[in-house]
Amino acid sequence: MQPLTEEERTHAFAPTRKAEVIARQRLPVRYHVEDFDGHHRPRRFLEAFAAVLKHTNYRLALDQYVRVSAKCSRCSVKCQVYLATGDNRDIPCYRSELLLKIYRRHFTVSGVLRGRLLGDPGLTDERVQEMADAFYNCTACRRCHFECPMGIDHALITHLGRYILSEIGIAPRALAVSVREQLTGATGNTSAVPVPALRDSLEFLSDDMQEERGVDIPFPLDEEGADYIFFPAVSDFLMEADTLMGNAAVFRATGDRWTIGTGYFDGINYGLFYSDHILEMVLHKMRAEVERLKAKTILIGECGHASRSAKFFYPTYCGGKQALPVVNCMEYAHKAWKQGRLKLKPNTIAEAVTYHDPCNLARTGWVVEQPRELLKAICSNYVEMTPNRRDNICCGGGGGTVSIDEIKPYRMLVGGRAKAEQIRATGAKYCVAPCANCKKQLRELMEEHGVDCQIVGLHDLLYKAIDFGPAAGGNGQ
Amino acid sequence: MPTFEVNDHKYEVDEDGFLQEPGIWNETVASDFATTEGVTDLTEAHWKVIHYLRNYYLQFGIAPMIRKVCKETGFKLNEIYQLFPSGPAKGACKLAGLPKPTGCV
Repeated sequence: MQPLTEEERTHAFAPTRKAEVIARQRLPVRYHVEDFDGHHRPRRFLEAFAAVLKHTNYRLALDQYVRVSAKCSRCSVKCQVYLATGDNRDIPCYRSELLLKIYRRHFTVSGVLRGRLLGDPGLTDERVQEMADAFYNCTACRRCHFECPMGIDHALITHLGRYILSEIGIAPRALAVSVREQLTGATGNTSAVPVPALRDSLEFLSDDMQEERGVDIPFPLDEEGADYIFFPAVSDFLMEADTLMGNAAVFRATGDRWTIGTGYFDGINYGLFYSDHILEMVLHKMRAEVERLKAKTILIGECGHASRSAKFFYPTYCGGKQALPVVNCMEYAHKAWKQGRLKLKPNTIAEAVTYHDPCNLARTGWVVEQPRELLKAICSNYVEMTPNRRDNICCGGGGGTVSIDEIKPYRMLVGGRAKAEQIRATGAKYCVAPCANCKKQLRELMEEHGVDCQIVGLHDLLYKAIDFGPAAGGNGQ
Repeated sequence: MPTFEVNDHKYEVDEDGFLQEPGIWNETVASDFATTEGVTDLTEAHWKVIHYLRNYYLQFGIAPMIRKVCKETGFKLNEIYQLFPSGPAKGACKLAGLPKPTGCV
């Protein structure tokens, strides 16, 4: 990867906020922050940290990490941010050390004693400011996790650091505003889509599908007792019409009962990016809707963080082992295809197609081969990008950063730098990126770096390839 | 509250330059905001998109699906990007006086 030129560096790190706002908030970060009480910040940070430790089991991980962290920087070879900037502060274990040092100094016996003995004043306001900047330069992609010989999950530290910061009022405004609308707003979802607009959009899509495929493909709303209740990233209802059409078409082909609840239809959960408290509250909203409609399985749309937050945390906050199962829509489509309930026409897509693994789906090995098998079934020229699968490079907009518009130059030049070249090297006409975050970031990247590649969802292509059979009355096109 | 001043008009805007009070929109607002989004001349094509967005917003309280914008106005997505270089969600919505889209948009 080409290192940043001086001009690019200046552009990527240019201040995005007025000097007077930075001075008022004493916070030299590039993302907008709503005004907050900035008094006694170090003390309040430590109080929040103590409260988090008291009510969670982060201490287990932190105790382990402060013992084993070798600060060896092996993780640096995996970090696309560090590889782009070459700045030591972007090495994952350097960033994690910002928080681990505070834990060691203030929350371990030896650290407290040593601090008193040596007269170490402890956490300073400068360190809080440094963390507020550093933890949002990381995309929380967890790729460095593989390289750490000690098994430290630096993205967990990033998450915890952001969580504590958010407890004292420091969180990107773009995320905070969306979450507020989702939890307390009139529409109850992050993109503020009212139910009449939802109905209008879905009717429009059904009409379009009738026109294009000659098949009646409904979006069932509020059906009680359905097998699947569908939660896509709510932004799909504005941006990703083709993906939604694919989702509906798959169900039309399999005949399973599914529904979208008008009480709550947003899979997005920014809590995964910066606050466990929000993570829990958003999942409770999901649970209420699932219970209202007595659905049997939670189905998440094409979105990495929405899928991971539900799959791995729905049981945590909503019923443990008794919690309803959570599946991603690609898992569902793959299983139906394997069972022969979803018929796909081979060689539907002739152009070169590649696949981008969203970090939140692939890093754990959860959804990796399923979309590839589906793509190989419908594309005549499928190519892999390198590296891929669990080791794939993040789009550069992970960890919520893609929703922060003001840091776009950073996402384009630093975060997504490696990704742009990786996609260019495949020469593919289509890049399948089954995640609302990745789609947005990658489209902007392709434009910015002049790569001639169209970013689509997996279901966008499945929609074209589904064979509804003669019984459906379709024209089979 | 930041303000945006142009052609002797003064508007209250958010930090991204979107009109703070969508209700006060009129065509002059669109003309005044055009330069900030890289639109130099508002043609009939621009107005077609702006009016469609505005009317949809007044009816439903949100911008329409992008696919619907394309279908109803007859422009392809790349043509909309040519009209509004900063895109439909940012540029076109700002000129039509809609609030800034939130979430993963």
